[in-house]
Parts: sequence; C-alpha cells; structure tokens
Amino acid sequence: MIDRGVLLVRIAVRNLLASPINLLIGGLILLGTLVFVLLGGLLDSLNQAMQRSVVGSLAGHIQIYSASSKDELALFGQMGNFPDLPAINDFPKIQDALTKVENVKMVVPMGISAAIITSGNIVDVTLEKLRNLYKARDGQPSDPKLSGVPREELVLRIESEIAHLRQIIKVLRGDVEKAMADMVNTKSVEPRNVEALARVEQPAFWADFDQAPYENLEFLENRIAPIVTDTSLVFLRYVGTDLDKFQKSFDRMRIIKGSPVPQGQRGFLIADLMHEDQMKLKTARRLDKVKDARLNGRLIATDDELKRFVKENRHQTRELVLQLDGLKTAALVKSLQALLATKETSIDVLLSQLLDTTDENFEERYAQFYELVVPQVQLYRVKVGDMLTIKAFTKSGYVQNVNVKVYGTFAFTGLEKSPLAGATNLMDLMSFRELFGYLTSDKAEELKEIQRATGAKAVSRENAEAELFGEDAEVVAEATPGVIDPDAALAGTGRKLREEDLIRRVYTQQHLDDGVVLHAAVMLEDPSRIDEAIARINQVSQEQHLGIQAVSWQKASGILGQIINVFRALLFVAVGIIFIAAMLIMYLSVLMATLQRTQLFGTMRAIGAQRGLILSMVLIESLVLGLLFGGLGMLAGWGVLAAIATTGIAAPNDVMYFFFSGPRLIPQLSTWPLVVALVIILVVTIGSTLLPALMAMRVSPLRAMQADE
Amino acid sequence: MSAIVTITDVVKEYSLGATVVQALRGVSLTVDKGEFISIAGPSGSGKTTLLNLIGCVDTATRGVVEVAGKNTANMSERELTNLRLNTIGFIFQSFNLVSVLTVFQNVEFPLLLQNKLNAKERKERVESLLEQVGLLTHLKHRPNELSGGQRQRVAIARALVTDPLIVLADEPTANLDSETGQAILDLMRSLNQKKGTTFIFSTHDHRVMRYANAVVRIADGKVKGRESPQEAVAHEMELGPDPTLSTEVRAS
Ligand SMILES: Nc1ncnc2c1ncn2[C@@H]1O[C@H](COP(=O)(O)OP(=O)(O)O)[C@@H](O)[C@H]1O
Ligand SMILES: [Mg+2]
Repeated sequence: MIDRGVLLVRIAVRNLLASPINLLIGGLILLGTLVFVLLGGLLDSLNQAMQRSVVGSLAGHIQIYSASSKDELALFGQMGNFPDLPAINDFPKIQDALTKVENVKMVVPMGISAAIITSGNIVDVTLEKLRNLYKARDGQPSDPKLSGVPREELVLRIESEIAHLRQIIKVLRGDVEKAMADMVNTKSVEPRNVEALARVEQPAFWADFDQAPYENLEFLENRIAPIVTDTSLVFLRYVGTDLDKFQKSFDRMRIIKGSPVPQGQRGFLIADLMHEDQMKLKTARRLDKVKDARLNGRLIATDDELKRFVKENRHQTRELVLQLDGLKTAALVKSLQALLATKETSIDVLLSQLLDTTDENFEERYAQFYELVVPQVQLYRVKVGDMLTIKAFTKSGYVQNVNVKVYGTFAFTGLEKSPLAGATNLMDLMSFRELFGYLTSDKAEELKEIQRATGAKAVSRENAEAELFGEDAEVVAEATPGVIDPDAALAGTGRKLREEDLIRRVYTQQHLDDGVVLHAAVMLEDPSRIDEAIARINQVSQEQHLGIQAVSWQKASGILGQIINVFRALLFVAVGIIFIAAMLIMYLSVLMATLQRTQLFGTMRAIGAQRGLILSMVLIESLVLGLLFGGLGMLAGWGVLAAIATTGIAAPNDVMYFFFSGPRLIPQLSTWPLVVALVIILVVTIGSTLLPALMAMRVSPLRAMQADE
Repeated sequence: MSAIVTITDVVKEYSLGATVVQALRGVSLTVDKGEFISIAGPSGSGKTTLLNLIGCVDTATRGVVEVAGKNTANMSERELTNLRLNTIGFIFQSFNLVSVLTVFQNVEFPLLLQNKLNAKERKERVESLLEQVGLLTHLKHRPNELSGGQRQRVAIARALVTDPLIVLADEPTANLDSETGQAILDLMRSLNQKKGTTFIFSTHDHRVMRYANAVVRIADGKVKGRESPQEAVAHEMELGPDPTLSTEVRAS
C-alpha cells in the first residue's frame, strides 16, 4: 500500500518535472499562498491589535443597545454625527439577565454624547474684574473676595488690569492691521470698529479713564469686546458611564493627571491626549512636540515640521500676550530682559526671542519657558479641578445645565498617542442622565422636595443663570441636544441649590444602576466565543422582552471596525484571482496531459491496475504540485511574517497607534492562514483535476492494444 | 493436457453508430496449458479481438470465453482486472512501458499492484526476471534509453514477473527488425520451455509462425483450422505474403 503510494508519488514527480507549464502553475500557487499567508497573517494581527484597541478603550467585547434603534451604534463615528439611540429603559433588569448569561463578565452602562467648550471672551473677563475692583474701591464691593482688601492694593490691581486691557487692544490693533493687509477678516475692519479702536488707543482715553470708570467700561464692553474673535472651540465627545465599573473593565485605562472620580461621585475625566492637544497653550504644546521629536532623533535644523513649529512659536505670541495683565507683563519683561541680556521692552519681541529655538539652545529655552512664562499664564484652558458646566438644549429650547468637576485626565496604555482612543472623555452616569433629561428616581424625589421648599418664590430665570455663570463656572460646554422632558426640568434657584448639592453627593450602586442608559459594554470571560455570546444575549433579550440587541465590538465601532473586513475582502479577491488563474491553467494542463496519456492509463488497466489507482495517480500528481509549491509559499509567507515579528512594524503616524494598539505592530504567528491556505490548495488542485482524473479513470484497457496515435 | 483457455462459438460485434462490425463470427478454440501457440491471419482478420477476449480486457457479444476455468461473461470489471493481474501477462506491439519509470520500476509495477511481496522479495523477483531477459545491467535505465528489442525484453520481464498462467503477445515483433524479432521469439520460447507458461501470440508474419508449436489460422473473423507451423507457412505462401484487408461490413 505504502509502496504503491510511493510509486504514484514518484510517477507524479517525474511527470511534473517533464512539463514546464507545471512551473507556471506552481509559481501561481506559490504566489497565491505566499500573499495569503503573509497578508492574511498581517491583517489578522492588525485585527487583533485593533480589537485590543477598540475593546480596551471603549467598546468592550459586545455592545448592547435598544432593539428599536433606527440608527446603528457607531462608537467611533464621525465627529458630531451621533447615532440617535433610544434609551434602554430597565437597565437593572437587563444587567441582571445578562450577567446570568454564560461567559459574560461585566455589563458597563454607557451613553455617548458631545459638547462644545467655548472659553470666555478675554475682554469680558478682564472688564468684569475691573468693574469689581472699581466697585470695591468705591466702597460697595460686589465680589466678596475683594472686601477687606486695602485701597492701595485695589488701585494697584486696577492699574494692572488697565495695562492688560491696553495690551489686549494693542494686539487687536495688530489684528486689524493684518486683516486690512490681506482683506480677510471683515469684522474687525469695519469702520465702526476701527474708529472705536482708534479712540481707545489714544493715551487721553486712558488718562481720563478714572474720571468716569463705569461709563468707560461700558464703552469697552459694547464696542471693543465684540471685536475680539477669541472663539476657539473645543469639541468634547464624552461617554457617560459608571466610572468605577468602567475603570475595572477597561484595565488599560490609567489616570495621567489628577485622580479618578471618587467612587459614586459626579465628575469628569478628560482624555489626556485631547487635554494636551486641544486645551493646552499652543506655544507650550509646540514646544512639547519639538522636545519629543528631538528625543526621537529629529533635528530643528533639518526637519521641516520642527522648523514650522519654531516659526509659529516665534510669530504667534498673541495667545500668550493676551493673557498677561500689567503686573505680569512687567515682571516677565524684566526677567526676560535679564535672561536674554537685552534692553528690549516689547513683550512681543522678548517672547519671540525666547522662542527662537535652535538645536543648540532648545533644552535650555524649553526649561526657561516653563520656568518663567508658564507660571504667568493659564497653561490649560481646562484644568484638573475646574468645574465644567455642560449645557444641553432640549427640543423646546429649554437649557439643561449640569456642573461636573474635572477630576483628572486619563489615557489607555499603549494608545497614549492615538487620536482615536484619545478623543472620548468620560462623565459620570448621573450627570449624563440629567443632561439627556432622563429622570432618575433620585431626581424625581428631589424635584418634589425642591418644589415644595421653593414653591412660592418666583425667581427670574436670568438671575439664576447669571449666578450659575459666576466664578465657579469658568468654562461652559454646550452639549448636543438631548432628549429632555421639559416637564421634568427644574427652574430657577431650585436648580442651583440642587446642583451644588448634587456635585457633592455620593451615589450608591443602586442609584447608578437604576435608570436609563443608551448602550452598554459587555465584557466577556472568553473573548474567542464572542459570536456565541452575542447569539445568547439576543436570545435572552427575546425571551425576556428586554428590547435590546447585541453587536460585536467590530460592528459597534462603526466604519472603523469594518476597515479590516474591507481589507480582508480585498485580500480574498486578490488571492482568489490568483488561485482561479492557477485553477484554470491547471485544469487545462491536466486535461491535455490526460488526453496524451490514454495509452499509459489503458496499459496500466490492462496489466491489472484498478480504476481507483488511475484516479489517485492523476489526483496525486496535482496534489504533489499544489502541496509542493503551496508549502513553499506557506513557508515563505510564514518566514517573512516571523522576520517582521522580530522587530514589528513601527506605526507610521499617530493615527496608526490605534490600529497597531501601540507604537508597533508585532505580527502574531497564528495558524489559521496556514490552515485556510491548505484548504484552498486542496480545493484548487482537486477541483481542477477531478474532471480529467475521472476521464483518465474511465480509459478502457483496450486502449493499450491500439497503436499509439 | 488440461485446457487453460476454452472459447466456444464466440461472436464479437462492434457497433459504430448505425453500423455493426462483426470482428469475430463464431470462433471456437481450445488452448492447453504450456502451449506456445500462434494466432495467424492477415491484418483485420480478428487476431487482436480474439486476444483481447482471452486477455479479459473485453467480453464477447455472444458465446463463452473461459480463462483459467472462469467464465468471463459473468465477471465484474473489478474481478476481470484482478484476473488479468494475477493470471495473465501482456506483451504489446508497441511495448507500452511507463516512460517515467526505470526498467526496474516498470518490471516491479505489477508486483506492487498485487501487493503480495515485500520490497526485498520484489527486488529478488524483478532482478531474476531481468537476468533471464539479459537486462540486469540496465536496471536504472529509462525506456527511452533502450533499443526496441531491449524495451520488448523489459515488457516480457514485466509480463512474466507475476508468474502468470498465460502470456498474451499481440504481434510482439511487428515493431522490430526481423533479427531482433527472432531473438525475442527465442527468448519467449525458452521461457515457455523453462517455466511451462502458456504463450499465445498473434502475427501475420510467416517467419514468426515457425516458432510456434501450433498455429491457429484465422481469416474474416473465423478460425480456418489448427495446423502445424509447417502447414501454416505453406498455406500462407499460397495466399500470398501480405493479403489485403478483407473485413465485411454489414448493416445491422
Ligand atoms: N474497437 C473497434 N471498433 C470497431 N471495429 C473494430 C474495433 N476493433 C476492431 N475492429 C474491427 O474488427 C475487425 C478485426 O480487427 P482486429 O481484431 O484488430 O484484426 P487484426 O488484429 O487481425 O488486424 C477489423 O475489421 C477491425 O476494423
Ligand atoms: Mg491487430
């Protein structure tokens, strides 16, 4: 039996060597297998890396959301484009049911939304300070912090703020000139604005300022403040979630600055990358980037991007100057003069000189910037410890405000630099629910309480709002419209009281679980059995009327998760074409060979070979060809993969960090591409040979007697 | 003497679309064990058809063909194949060696099909056969490295390696020059005498008929008689050296 097999293989090999077309077929099979194993392996690794990123940063293994949702859940959807998910109503019941499902480790409630942070107009803020100072000086302080401050000190501070104002006006003047030069910004070039600026530039305006401070302040407020176009917006995507559970489930998450939100409390955590990229002083951010690049061996002298950063730092001092009041400016001018050994008095020029960095002086200047300049300005637009007021608009136009304290910033290990992972911030679930207008049992109770207590008092809404936007609420974030039930909303002072109380309130687990969520992440014990788990969750939902649907992390991540599938489809198409070509050529070649060898088959049959032997002989010939070259292809593909795996592929840019789940993609040497390749080779060889082999099998032994044609 | 092949009233028809060709028209014949018999007749007379029936590569349309005591009419394809493998050796006009195998492997092939002997036994057996045909020195040669006579010797060794009861040879010398053909017939006859194997070979060449113990003369699908070689050659001379084809074609 074995000897016969050896003989057939021997015949096969000899026959294969005889025909050069087999080299072409073999070459195609080798190429197809190589491409499949190599790219299949890489895609597989990429998929696994992305799975680590998606699962570990937000999605969990499975996401559940309302079965009646018209939109599909897209956790990494385009900015501002959110799926409109109906609420899941009885989360505790769902959680209860799902945790009983085999393989489910944890269910983390979530809701995804977004807000825009607008920082206050710098002129408005300065004017407000000035007004308070004047009031205090005139003996009628409106700011409790200023009562008891000696008059001399108040006068000094007024001078400092006025100097700050004049500095701002100088910057504005520069803006106007620049705008006039390139005729872009029509707003500041308006004659009315030019005229107003001209007036406040006169030394006389300031000399007489004290004569009628409140009138002058009003003029500035009405005519100058509107010119300031300091409205850089930060888009804030956030997920409202049970923060404790979140941190436990997504164990790659760690706090970078500040602290976690204390258990059961309201709070906000900012994605650290976003904090650095979008909330940090631009000059400082650029310096950080140059520093980072230089650590990676790049040089200002030769690197275009770094050159650009330095140039921007030298020219864009506006952001810094705007923040400096008179006292700060004077102090900084003095220290910079000493540092740079110059008599220059313009803060603009001094900063520009400080920031004129080269490879030689960079380290020194970097340290000096952080030492001298940073303490005088606000390094981050939102700091740890700040209170964020997030506003959501209902469809009826009612504004729902929620104050949350920023406790810290966070990142996911390995994804620190990924803009995708670093684009989502975290909010506690209670605040999120309120922003969305969902009534918690806790809130409903409170609503009654407050209405009873404040019932008679009619407080105008404006006043309440004004109070809300006082000292504590420096930053206002506007949330995208949520679905808020206007009846459930509170009004006036009552709300303020409640909110102050809420910030300090500690919630029990029941509070968190009780109530509405939009979606939830399901963590599994064994992620490899995800399909099974999804099926089971969907089944449980049907049986118990939970009204939810479960989707894999891949589906939940929206377009992102599909990318790999698209690549995979492309790979299959490419490899498919190669193998179909191989199959066609192989079919024709085997057919030809069979027709040419009928006498051989007839002879073998005549001298006693059964039909099966002829069939195996032809099949073995193709199998030897397929397995030989396919095996070489597999070996080559696997070899290249293994070679790549020793160093990994470096992420070419920050975006790829997410796909690589870190700075490098280390290919996993998984066996499935080999197994699939083997199956494909078997299908290709047997598929293309079966018909000719059956023909060969049916050749009559009589054919042996006939003379060779 | 026991009969090893018994053929009784055999008719063989080939249908070619609407027409039917009668290649054999009621042939009866008995071959005894150990005979060295020649089937002689002009081209198209039915020699190959008759040998095919004896060789179990084809079955008769009517009549009985018994080979080694078995009626081939009732046998399945598989059984016929086994009968060929174990009882019959074939020598072909155009040698029909497997071109990609060596001399040794060609001769070994039927033994591998039989799957009875181990590698060592096979080697002994193949080498003994190749020694008898005088090709022990060419074990590793490929068929295309051999002359026609040498190839036919390999074919003879292959036919005899399983120690069959009957060896069939359809015009074994037709593709050889006369000198080589005679050497091949000498070899066949010596093997017949040494081992007692029955040889049935066809020819239309009177020089070849001389080697036989008996000649069965066949013409137009009918046996004309069983004669001694001398009688047959005499007949052959009367009819002329190379008669033209005389097959009858009838409408069915
Ligand atoms: N497969 C076949 N199909 C049709 N006719 C055939 C076939 N084989 C042989 N014949 C015919 O049968 C007759 C006998 O042929 P054959 O046995 O080959 O004669 P020989 O071998 O004596 O030359 C011839 O007329 C031949 O044409
Ligand atoms: Mg013939």
